[in-house]
Amino acid sequence: MMHDDQQYTHEDNSRQIFQELKFRSLTVKNRLFRSNVSGQFDDYNGHGGSARLNWEEKFARGGVGCIISSFTPVSVRGRILVRYAMIDDDDKIPFWRAIGDRVHAHDCRFLMQLSHSGRQQDMGGAENLYKRGLSSTNKSDYFHGLLAEAMSREDIRTVVEQFAQGARRAKEAGLDGVELHGANGYLITQFLSSGINDRTDEYGGDWEGRARFVLEIVRAIRREVGQDFHLQMKINGVDHNDWLYPWIKKGNTLDETVKICTLLLDGGKGVDAFHISSGSTFPHPRNPPGDLPLNDLRRWYDGMLSQGTRARFNYSIFSNPVLGPAFVAWWRFRRGKVIEGINLDYARAVTEAVRGIDPSVKVLCTGGFQHADVIGEAIRSGACDGVSMARPLIANNDLPKILKTQNGPDKGRECTYCNKCLLNDLENPLGCYEVKRYPGSTFEARHQLMIDEVMSVFTPPAFAGSVAATPPQAVEAEP
Amino acid sequence: MSDLNDPLTPVEIVLGRKRKIVVVIAVLVLAAIVYWLVFVNQYVVAFRNQEDHFLYGSIGSEASTGPPYWVFKALPVMYADKLGPAGWGHFGMLYEKPGDDLPIGVSRRIVSGVDRVWLNCSVCHVGTYTLPNQTERHLVYGAPSNNLRLQEFILFFIDLGSDPGFTADRLIAAINSPEVGGHLNAFERVVYRYVIFPRLQAAFADLGKRLTFVARQEKWGPGRVDTFNPYKSLQFNFPMGAASISDAALNGSSDYPSIWQQRPREGMNLHWDGNNNSVAERNLSAALGAGVTPVTVDRSSIRRIEQWMWDLPAPQFPGKVDVEAAERGREVFSDTCAGCHGMKTGGTYSYNTDHFKRLGQTVALADIGTDRGRWASYTPDFAAAQNQLYAGYPWRFKRFHKTNGYANHPLDGIWARSPYLHNGSVPTLHDLLEPSSQRPARWYRGSEVLDLARVGYRSDDAAPGDQLFLYDTSKTGNSNRGHEGKAYGTELSGADKDALVEYMKTL
Repeated sequence: MMHDDQQYTHEDNSRQIFQELKFRSLTVKNRLFRSNVSGQFDDYNGHGGSARLNWEEKFARGGVGCIISSFTPVSVRGRILVRYAMIDDDDKIPFWRAIGDRVHAHDCRFLMQLSHSGRQQDMGGAENLYKRGLSSTNKSDYFHGLLAEAMSREDIRTVVEQFAQGARRAKEAGLDGVELHGANGYLITQFLSSGINDRTDEYGGDWEGRARFVLEIVRAIRREVGQDFHLQMKINGVDHNDWLYPWIKKGNTLDETVKICTLLLDGGKGVDAFHISSGSTFPHPRNPPGDLPLNDLRRWYDGMLSQGTRARFNYSIFSNPVLGPAFVAWWRFRRGKVIEGINLDYARAVTEAVRGIDPSVKVLCTGGFQHADVIGEAIRSGACDGVSMARPLIANNDLPKILKTQNGPDKGRECTYCNKCLLNDLENPLGCYEVKRYPGSTFEARHQLMIDEVMSVFTPPAFAGSVAATPPQAVEAEP
Repeated sequence: MSDLNDPLTPVEIVLGRKRKIVVVIAVLVLAAIVYWLVFVNQYVVAFRNQEDHFLYGSIGSEASTGPPYWVFKALPVMYADKLGPAGWGHFGMLYEKPGDDLPIGVSRRIVSGVDRVWLNCSVCHVGTYTLPNQTERHLVYGAPSNNLRLQEFILFFIDLGSDPGFTADRLIAAINSPEVGGHLNAFERVVYRYVIFPRLQAAFADLGKRLTFVARQEKWGPGRVDTFNPYKSLQFNFPMGAASISDAALNGSSDYPSIWQQRPREGMNLHWDGNNNSVAERNLSAALGAGVTPVTVDRSSIRRIEQWMWDLPAPQFPGKVDVEAAERGREVFSDTCAGCHGMKTGGTYSYNTDHFKRLGQTVALADIGTDRGRWASYTPDFAAAQNQLYAGYPWRFKRFHKTNGYANHPLDGIWARSPYLHNGSVPTLHDLLEPSSQRPARWYRGSEVLDLARVGYRSDDAAPGDQLFLYDTSKTGNSNRGHEGKAYGTELSGADKDALVEYMKTL
C-alpha cells in the first residue's frame, strides 16, 4: 500500500530498488541484501549442512540481489552458538563453494560475514566450556554476564590472521566478497566501542587506538585477497551502550563512527562498503528492532543459564509477572518509536562522509526494512545505496518479488517484528514463529502451517533417495 | 564439587564466588538481625491496664541497674537468715497477694537476652493502711509508701559486694533450688558463673563504694528516703566524704510524696523544697531515683504513668466523719490554712493559685521553721549538675534550682499521707496542730494501722507491726519543729483543732 501523502509512485520506488548496485569489484542486481542471519542448521563442529544450502537458496530464489552469510566464526572460540557453519579451516571451503553455487544459480551474490564473538558468546559449546570469551577487556558483558578475557598482543595477532585466512577461504570458495562483523557487540565492536574497550595499550584509548585492531584485520585481508575482492564492514552508527543501565558509558557516537569509517578507507586500499547497524550488544532494543516476546524468552532463554553470570538474574526478571512486562516496556522505550529504517540517519552521516572522500565506496543500511516506499526513499535521498533485511525475508522469502509489484506484503502477512525468530533460534530451527501470520481458522491449523514453513528448510533432505518423501500433512486451509 | 577431570567452568567459578559473597552477606545480615533482636532490642511485659502498668510496668531501670530475674528470686533464699520468710517484704516491699511472683514496684525487662528486674515508680508510691481491729491490708495507689525501708534495701546490696559467702556456687545453687526453680542449664550456669556473677559482685562493690556515706547517715526508717544524696553520688560522682558535706546536708531524709492529681500541680513548686515547677521534669528526675539512667529511660512508659496520675483522684477517708464538726473545721481551714494549701469546697478541691496566692510557693526556711536537712541536702551545685541531664534532648532538665525554704503543697488525700511535715517527723494531723514542744519526741513508725481520730498511723510502741522503728526527733534531720505558731493553727482552741482535723479527713 502506498502512503497517500507520498509524492512518489510505487514505480518510482521500485525503480530505485531494482537498479543495479555497482561496488568497486562487485555488481549486485538490485538494492536488496539478505542481512546476516544464522540458524542452527549445521554440524556441531562447524561443517555446513544441507539445511543451510536450502536456507540460503530460499532467499536467492526469492529475488534478493545479494546474501550476506550467517555469522561465520573465523575460529571455534569466536562462535556465538553451536551448529553455525564456520570458516576456521580450509576443510570448510567445499561447503561454502556449494553455497555459492546454489545461490549464484539464482543470479544472487553471496558475501561471507567473517565474525568473532569475542566475549559475546551466547552458547560456546563443549569446545569453549572452560574458556572465557576473548575480548578487549576483562570485564564481563553487562547483559548476560558473559565472562571475558582481555586479549594479549599475541592473541590479537592470532585473531587478525584468522580473519585474513577466513577471507582467503571465502575467495577460494568462489564467494563474491566478505563482510567484517564489526557491529552489535561482537569482538570488533568490543575493540571499537569506547563503552567497552578499556585497554591502555595501543589497541585502546582514543578512536584511532580502538580502531587499530580492525584496521589490522582489513590490511591482513587485503594482503590475502588483494584489492579486487569485495570487502565490507558492518559497523554501529551509534553504540547506545547504556540501553539497559543508563548510568554506564554510552559508547561510540556517530561522530566517532564516521571517523572510524574514514580511517577504514585506508587511502583507497581499505574497505569497499559499509553496512550500518546500531547497538553494542546483541540483542539490543535497536537491533533487531522490534518487540521482545516474553513467553519465548521464558521458554528458550533457559539454555543461557549456564553461560552467563547474570543469566539467572535475567531469567528471574523475564519470569516475573511484574518485572517481565516492565522489562519489555523498558526495551520498547529504549528502542523508540521507529522500527523500519531505524538506522537511516546514521547511514546518511556515513554516506555523506565517505562519498566526499571516495564515491566508489557504498553504504548499506539495516533495520526493519520491509516496504518499497521506505527503501526507495532511503536510496533516493542518498541515505544509503542499498538495504539489508533479515526478519522480513524470513517472513516472506519472496519479499523482493512482492516489492516489485506492491509496496509491501499483504495485510496480515507482514513481518510483525515480534522477534520470536530471534528467541527461537536459541533452541529451535530458525524461521518465522509468528503464528498469526499464517492462514487457518484454528490455532492448530495456523500452527501446523507455521511448523511446515519452519521445517521446510530441511527439504530436500540431505539423503533424498528413491524412497518417496512423505507428503506434508494435509492441513485445513483458509477458505 | 570438581576434580581434576571435572573442573568448574569459569561461569560456575564466578557464580560460586558470588554465592559465597551472598552467603557471607546473608549471614552477616542475619547475625545483625539476631544481634539486634537479642542484644539491642529489649522486651518488656506490656500491661493493658493502667494500674497494672503503674505497679509492674518497666520504666527502664533494669538495663542499667537491675539484677537478673533469677538472682532477684534467689537472693531471699540465699539470705533467708537476714530477710526471713517475708523475703523482699522484709524491706517493706508489698505483694498484692501472697504467692505473687514479684513485689509491687519491681518490673521485668529482657536486656541482651537476660531477663532482668528492677524498680519502678510504684515501689515508693503505694501506701497501705489497716483499719483498727481489722487485719485486711488496703493498698492505696499513688499514696506515699509507708513501708519501704530503702536504706536497708540499699545496704543489703552493698553488703553483698563484700560478703565472702556471696559466691557463684551458692547463687547458682539457690537459683536451681526448688524454692526458686530456675533450672539453669549447663550453658546458663556457665554464663551465670563467668559473666553474670562477676558483674553482680563488681556492681555491688561499686554501689558500696559510691554509697559509703549511707552508713554515716541517721537511719531513714520505713517510708522515708534521702532523695538527693545518693543521686549526687550515683549520677554525678559528687564527693560525699565528711570533709565535703555537712552533717545537716548529709541527713536529708524525708517522706515519700503522694502522686495523685498532678494536673493541677503543674506550675507549682514541686518537691518538698519546691526546686522544680514542671511535673514532667520532676517525674523524669524521680525515675532516676528508681534506677533509670538517661540512656536506659523508657520515656513512653513514664509518659503513660504520667497520664494516669495526671487526674488520679485522691483516696476517700475510710473512717467516719463528723459532718458538723467538719463544716466548722472548713471555716477554720479557710481562715487559717487555705491560703497556702488550697481547700475543698462543695466536694471539689480547689488548686487555684490565683485565689490561693501562696499555694505552690516556697516559704523561707526561717519562716516555716521545719528541719533544714532536706533543704540543705539540695545544693546549687547539684541543681546545676541536674540541669545537664538529658543535654541534647528537648527534655533536657532546665528548671531545677535552689530555693530558700519549703514549698506549700495541696493537701488532697492528706489523711493517707502521714506522718507529716516533709521529714515525716509528726505522726498525726492532730499532733501537727500542736506546738513542737507538745508533739511526740520519740515515737514509732512502721505500723499501718490508722488512728482514725488523730488521723495518721498509730505511733505507740504497742501498735501492731513487725518491725516498728523508733523515730527520735532529736537526731539530725529528724526535727519535728516548725510549721507552728498562730499562723499555723497551733494556737487554735482544742475544739477548733478537732474541727480542723475532722475537715481534713474530707480532703
